[in-house]
Amino acid sequence: MTVTAISTYALSKQFGPTKALRDLDFHVGEGEIVGCLGPNGAGKTTLIRLLLGLLIPTSGRAEIFSLDSRRQSVDAHRRLAYVAGEASLWPTLTGAETLHLLGQVQGQVDPAYRDVLIERFELDVSKRVRALSKGNRQKVVLVAALMTRADLLILDEPTSGLDPLMERAFRLCMSEARERGQSVLLSSHILSEVEALCDRIGILRAGVLVEMGTMAEMRHLSALTVDATFDGAVPDVADVAGVTMVEVHGSTLRCQVQGSVEPLLEALVHSGVRELLSREPSLEELFLAHYGASPSEGRTSNAP
Amino acid sequence: MLLDTRIAVPRTSRVRSTTVIARITGRKAVRSGVGWGLVFALYVAAQALAYASSYSTVAARRLLVQEFGSNVGISALVGPAHQIGTVPGYTAWKCLTVLAITGAVWGILTSTRLTRGEEDAGRWELLLVGQVTRRSAAVQALAGLAAGALSLFVTTAIITVAVGRSSKVGIGSSGAIYFALAIVAGAVMFLALGALSSQLASSRRQAAGYASAFLGASYAIRMAADSSTGLGWLRWTTPLGWVEELQPLTKPNPLALVPISILIGVAGVLVVYVSGRRDLGASVFSDRSTARPHLRLMSGATGLALRLNRPTLLGWTVSIVAYGLLLGGIAKSGGKIMTSSPSIRHVFARLGVTGVEAYLGLAMLIMAMALSFVAVGQISAARKEESGGQLENLLVRPLSRVSWLTGRIVLATGLLVLGGLVVGLSTWAGAASDHADVSLSTMLEAGLNTVAPALLLLGVGVLALGLVPRAAVPVTYAAMVWSLLVELLGGLASLNHWLLDSSAFHQMAAAPSVPINWSTNAIMVSIGAVAVLIGVAAFKRRDLKGE
Repeated sequence: MTVTAISTYALSKQFGPTKALRDLDFHVGEGEIVGCLGPNGAGKTTLIRLLLGLLIPTSGRAEIFSLDSRRQSVDAHRRLAYVAGEASLWPTLTGAETLHLLGQVQGQVDPAYRDVLIERFELDVSKRVRALSKGNRQKVVLVAALMTRADLLILDEPTSGLDPLMERAFRLCMSEARERGQSVLLSSHILSEVEALCDRIGILRAGVLVEMGTMAEMRHLSALTVDATFDGAVPDVADVAGVTMVEVHGSTLRCQVQGSVEPLLEALVHSGVRELLSREPSLEELFLAHYGASPSEGRTSNAP
Repeated sequence: MLLDTRIAVPRTSRVRSTTVIARITGRKAVRSGVGWGLVFALYVAAQALAYASSYSTVAARRLLVQEFGSNVGISALVGPAHQIGTVPGYTAWKCLTVLAITGAVWGILTSTRLTRGEEDAGRWELLLVGQVTRRSAAVQALAGLAAGALSLFVTTAIITVAVGRSSKVGIGSSGAIYFALAIVAGAVMFLALGALSSQLASSRRQAAGYASAFLGASYAIRMAADSSTGLGWLRWTTPLGWVEELQPLTKPNPLALVPISILIGVAGVLVVYVSGRRDLGASVFSDRSTARPHLRLMSGATGLALRLNRPTLLGWTVSIVAYGLLLGGIAKSGGKIMTSSPSIRHVFARLGVTGVEAYLGLAMLIMAMALSFVAVGQISAARKEESGGQLENLLVRPLSRVSWLTGRIVLATGLLVLGGLVVGLSTWAGAASDHADVSLSTMLEAGLNTVAPALLLLGVGVLALGLVPRAAVPVTYAAMVWSLLVELLGGLASLNHWLLDSSAFHQMAAAPSVPINWSTNAIMVSIGAVAVLIGVAAFKRRDLKGE
């Protein structure tokens, strides 16, 4: 059996009457970058906190590099680094003190890379955490995790609060991690971020893994929403390849396009289009479109 | 949640959302005020009724006046004893200083929790984005605290008046109301000072620290004033002295209400003024946003705990040393008067202790209480690291939960033992400076003796941390307050011995006035250790819990 970075077996967590996670079988291979998508409350953070041993599973178990996430947590934690979406640091410590402390507790730091990261994220480490903005606190947590060069990075919405420039710096770090063969679990609700970085993507909804696959396998999810306004009559595009969910209101048309948009463009080009807008659907729209309002209507999980 | 839904109701939102801070603060303050009002009033009732039945004869009362009436040492500890041959005089003497200090601690904890604590938790941020300005938020919070103060007064007054009507007690209604006012004056002053320090400090802990330091200084000055006749004027320089000058039930002096009112008013105005001038979450004192890194203690979780606790611990050390020197310094006169009565001298002689040692034993009880506060503070700091989310940063790294919590417990134990030695050393030094005849080894042992109840409470705290994390701090405080009340009431109210036995302070032998009971101490520490083991095991098996 090959060693996986993360494996869960029928992992479940219940908070009172709420089933936050149900019988989850989920795997991240070594050197793989896996995204975890889902709306708020889907169970992404619960999954990560179970992996880290911060929560105790109701049933099932999780392994990090074949080490039990509860009983062998210290050994498991030697090989991973974690970034929380909301950084709770000690307000009176400076950035430098925080990085020093967390490095000491981790017991493994690449000082040269740490300095590169501090420069890349333009972090002022002499400031007390109290005086830092949310984004700057997030940078401290990111640097603290990345500077360890751990074998596995577990990132829970790591770019929350970062500006677009810093998001670019983060993506650079991810490609470096890929080159070094580090494994990554990236939880996010930003579709484009996951799309750009991940080899495989899992989708959680109401505590159930409803979809798991490569980006190509998930092509049906990456639909475009097209809004078109016409001078004259709205043409019938329902039979055009890749077009679904056609809605017509007066002189406007809204539809979803999967795969190439070329067939639709060809169909529209002679119909007197006045305006054409296309955008990625939000995750919320996708979930509603593909899985209905409740998870039972969705597909069953198909772990690899 | 209730708050959110109320704001979301469009028709009433404007009126309600602008007073929401006043209502939230008021609700919590009143709940706490009524609860403590009951405790205060029951304490008063217990003292008055117990005195009436224990000292029913004129002869018994005369003996009491003879022993305590002009005892400098006792009056330094709990204030001067005026007319203690009467029920009202005795009740006033036994209640006033004790309840003023208890009330002051309540005031500090309540106002810093409801103002700075709420701000630190980010809850005010949500409320201050609307039409509510920072100044109006401060005014509202003060209004809420005032409601709490009023509820404390009303509860205390109603029961005190009722108790006063008892034929055995015989305190008139107006006298009882004035007495209740005197009792809660300390609480109200420190409620206001806590609100002020909340504006000046940069966190709730720091705010409570500043206000506690002020309370400590106020107590020390009052102590000096009451231990020497020449220094009586010093009473007028300190809030606790003003409370004493009110002299309820004996020689009422309402003039002392003037400085009390001025202090409350000035603190209130300053709160509003400062709140409009500073940023949310920022402080006025020591708000340097950058600092040179100090890495000496930053090699692990326990070093971090020590580093973050340093200001608080420094404050406690200074207070303990100051009290030790003061208490020790007046030990000789305190002890001399304590043994002026032949019968008591006989009892002490049989026990093989001198008057000085008898007096110091009483003083050590206060030190035991101070160390217990340190113990509960350590539990509170550990819980705060968990509820605030900072602990996660450590536990997702190669540090086990058991190592983290054990490190905290070892640190706390070490600090308490060290604290006990400081208690002994400083009290001995004070006594030696007064040429009192007491040996260093006796005092060091007596100092260590005060650590046992604190270790028991530490164990209770760890147990609560493991089993009921969200209630851990209130549960631990409750255990301490319970021990305190039972011990303070126990002497007179002839409580059931099971009840008395439940007080950690009652279990501790008040060395050096009586020989140290090492086996009882061993039992207390053992119970604490078992509680720690269960607590740690439970902590290992549960989810980390936020607020």
